[in-house]
Amino acid sequence: MITTLVYGFTIGGILYILSIGLSLTFGSMRIVNFAHALVYTTGAYFLVVALRTLGLGFLPAAAVATVAVLPIAAGIERFIIRRLYGESLDYAIIATYAVLLIGVDLIKWVFGATPIPLSDPIGRDVGLFGISFPLYRLMIIALAISIHGGLYLFFKRTIVGKIVVAGLEDKDAVRSLGIDVDRYFAIVFLVGSGLAALGGVLYAPITSVHPYMGFQVLLICFAVVIVGGMGSLHGTFLASFALGMVIAITGRYWGPAAETMVYAVMAVVLIFKPLDV
Amino acid sequence: MTGSLLTVDAVDAAYGSARVLHKVSLRVDPGEMVFIAGRNGAGKTTLLKTIAGFMPPAAGAVRLEGRDLRGIRPENVARLGVRYVFQDKRVFSRLTVRENLELAAHPSGERMSDVVARMLSIYPAMEKFLDSKAGGLSGGQRQILLIGRALTGNPKILLIDEPTEGLAAGVIDDIFRLLSEMKGRLSMLIVEQNLPVVARLADRVYVMKEGKIFQELVTRAEIEATGALERNL
Repeated sequence: MITTLVYGFTIGGILYILSIGLSLTFGSMRIVNFAHALVYTTGAYFLVVALRTLGLGFLPAAAVATVAVLPIAAGIERFIIRRLYGESLDYAIIATYAVLLIGVDLIKWVFGATPIPLSDPIGRDVGLFGISFPLYRLMIIALAISIHGGLYLFFKRTIVGKIVVAGLEDKDAVRSLGIDVDRYFAIVFLVGSGLAALGGVLYAPITSVHPYMGFQVLLICFAVVIVGGMGSLHGTFLASFALGMVIAITGRYWGPAAETMVYAVMAVVLIFKPLDV
Repeated sequence: MTGSLLTVDAVDAAYGSARVLHKVSLRVDPGEMVFIAGRNGAGKTTLLKTIAGFMPPAAGAVRLEGRDLRGIRPENVARLGVRYVFQDKRVFSRLTVRENLELAAHPSGERMSDVVARMLSIYPAMEKFLDSKAGGLSGGQRQILLIGRALTGNPKILLIDEPTEGLAAGVIDDIFRLLSEMKGRLSMLIVEQNLPVVARLADRVYVMKEGKIFQELVTRAEIEATGALERNL
């Protein structure tokens, strides 16, 4: 059971790193961004390139892959997302889904569709309660908690964070003070995209790298955002780990229903706390 | 019109195909306190939004010191010195009072100590709420915070939408006192339905009806005849 819990926390950590950008993008820009999954997938493929083509070690490769995705994310924000501000949600869904499909086809064209396995970058276990766990997974959990702490401080202490918090509540009121709030939302978008790429990088050694890996997690991430509350830092954190645990525990006892149970939880949340969009 | 700080010249504005403002013209001179009165739906808020850049005029022009504001984004209109205080006491409720002021100080570069000092000079009781969440303030305190926030960075004109709406009588007196103190030192264009307040403070009143300027009251006698004003709303 403890193994299952650690697995649940690992999934939760990855889900948090992935979902927080999605949540903040929706909370700030009111845009459902399917292209987030492309950024995640691209991060994983850039890791493969950095490890196998450039011959870097895992840590520098992870850093290079995460940073290398940012210009792509900036391009998506500048040329796609920014044109969708204030438009109907449908336009954003169609446009960003198109970006995802085009991006996935490009990945298939460049890298092929065959899954690429990666080994555990640490390859060491640690003992806990008499059971051994992969150190890499424990580090992912610790990293997710650290990122949450960092984001909390960012939004609580920095002027950029405070502007974003105010903008999430009342964008026009922030603009009326003379602040170009869209510029700050673009920063949030880039931070979120960087974290999505990091999520892809971190999850790649646990699963395998393939063009459709983004599709698999995207819907679960949306479930996290809905359960946690769009734009809510703490809500997304708690929802990520709760749903990670749902996946792990359901998977232990009834494997085929693991992901289905996530959507069952989301449905229950929607019944009692309908979306306000 | 020469020498006016703000001029609105034959402005039309529309939500989609529904035209809300019809050839609206008005002016605010330096230091003037100008009120817009009118029933709900007369187009008062739309007019302020159009001046502040939140709604593009379909026709006509808005000028600040002769500079055409059409096509300028709201944040840049604010930087030029037009500060819009929204209806509904919209403070940033998740931030503290001090952080609300900090956001206002950020684009202007004004020192926070000066901003806080100004806030406390207009409402000393705010000191004990400085580090409290703004969402916990009463309606009157929120309105005073909004005005204090809008005063940051030496604006040229305040656009204030319904400052006394929904407030208790005692709190309206506080807002009235604050506006009285500011009168003559800063240009203001205020949407207000509390006619006694309008009668006591206004240098000029525009009465709006169905998206048009129905009447302009300029003399004290005209302005203080609130009964006549009420009949025209």
